[in-house]
Amino acid sequence: MSEAIAQWRGFKAATRLGWKISSNWTQPLIFVIYSVLRPLSAAFILVIMYRVISGGAPGTGAYLAFLVSGVAFWSFVQYGFAGLSNGIVEDRGEYKMLKYVYTSPAHFYVYLLGRGLAQLASAAASAVIVLVVATVALRLPIHPLGVNYPLLLSASFLALLAVIGMAMAYGLLLLQAVDAHGYGELGSGVLYVISGAIFPITVLPGVLATLASLSPLVYWMELIRRSLLGSQAIRMFPALSDGDVMLRLVVTTVATLLLAHLVFTWADRQARRKGLIDMESNW
Amino acid sequence: MNHPSAIRIFFKTIVARAYPRFVGSHRNLTWLVTETLLPLIGTIAMIYVYRALHAPARYLGFVVLGGVLLAFWQNVIWSMATQFFWDRGGGNLELFAMAPTSLAAILLGMALGGVYMSLTRSAAVLLVASTLFGIGYSTASLLPALGIFVLTVCALYCLGMVLASLFLFYQREAWQLADALQEPIYFLSGFYFPVRSLGAVVGGLGSLIPLTLGLDAIRQLVLPGTPQFVPLAWEVVAIVVQIVAYGVLSQVSLRYLELQSRQDARLILRST
Repeated sequence: MSEAIAQWRGFKAATRLGWKISSNWTQPLIFVIYSVLRPLSAAFILVIMYRVISGGAPGTGAYLAFLVSGVAFWSFVQYGFAGLSNGIVEDRGEYKMLKYVYTSPAHFYVYLLGRGLAQLASAAASAVIVLVVATVALRLPIHPLGVNYPLLLSASFLALLAVIGMAMAYGLLLLQAVDAHGYGELGSGVLYVISGAIFPITVLPGVLATLASLSPLVYWMELIRRSLLGSQAIRMFPALSDGDVMLRLVVTTVATLLLAHLVFTWADRQARRKGLIDMESNW
Repeated sequence: MNHPSAIRIFFKTIVARAYPRFVGSHRNLTWLVTETLLPLIGTIAMIYVYRALHAPARYLGFVVLGGVLLAFWQNVIWSMATQFFWDRGGGNLELFAMAPTSLAAILLGMALGGVYMSLTRSAAVLLVASTLFGIGYSTASLLPALGIFVLTVCALYCLGMVLASLFLFYQREAWQLADALQEPIYFLSGFYFPVRSLGAVVGGLGSLIPLTLGLDAIRQLVLPGTPQFVPLAWEVVAIVVQIVAYGVLSQVSLRYLELQSRQDARLILRST
């Protein structure tokens, strides 16, 4: 059997496993409700906060669209980052199978990529439902035929690579801890603040704003809004063209993946040296 | 040989179950970090949303007070409601069931320890967020606000005991159900905005959660100008009623579900 076939089989098995773990605890309908309940509630919270301040003044659709699009697409980070990094820890502590993954023919990266992809499938469904519900209920200026799909898909592809890369590195770092409950959510919470998902990064103080501008998530959020809303999008980078923002997304994604690879390699070596891969953890 | 009375065992159980939480609240650093930073980060994110909207300063106070009670809600969900689920996974639940005490006493001990644990986390949220963003509060009605806070926390942990008995029935889905009780509850309880904005129907539904009325009452006292959802006196009465109702309900449901769990062998069934 060729190496490529072995990797492909590993990838398929990992994707299927990830999907089963995240979805087979209940009936499909309950799973769909569960998947959209959190992002939909988060969107409602922001809509009410905005309405309380704006007082329902006319011309508020653009800012509501800014908030809703950020929350809807944040599901990808929530599932992809917190879900995958928690998944690595669960594979070791709860399911006690991480050591078998390490000893299998599939490369560990391939396994994690498959695990992450399954998480992103749930996120995609959640994002679409939140966008559709919010667009109809709030009459947001989003028109399915007017969306710049090539820009949306290419930006999302790059950003999700970065998210999966960060999650892999962070998940491996979490292997150092005996008890890592809640750390996946903590990591995604920090990213939430510096991603421009629910407020422009210009509101942040200097250091945080600089840190945020180094993250690919900010440029992804900007491109999501531009592709969904066109000229009606509220822009975080009004001086930059779409191409400029895309270039920044490419550069920050490449830098993030490089950094993630270095951290991953270091954490992996530490885990092997210290015998952390099959360590009993606090489950 | 003299055996201790049932009452003595009951109270000793409460103290024994609360003890690890008192000690663990500062010994387990990984918990300390997540339990403090998770509500703090959520609070900071929402403060920046209001800042981006150029909201009046008192709205920042709304968010911080929401963050304070959020620490309690997270404790109720992850350390009360799901606790028997974790205990079952760790093999402790069967030991509890065999011990010469009641699960009710164990739940009360968990609640007592949980309140202390959350108090330390929420104090950190209040202190850090208020200092970072220069948020001030009216101290004229501080004592009544503290009184309502104590009542709200009592009602909340009574609700936590009801949820703990319900979660005895859940298996792997317990994790997801607990997860689903976060943002939707933040929304229904008005953690980040005045409860009045929810309207009568949604706000009324949200009032089944003690946090909703407690938060609104505390805001009315320490943040003058808060839009009133229900008159303060009525909110206090409703919270007291909730303490009694959830307290009684928790004992009834615990007895019933414990019996059912014994019949279905769920007390020893591992969840994975």
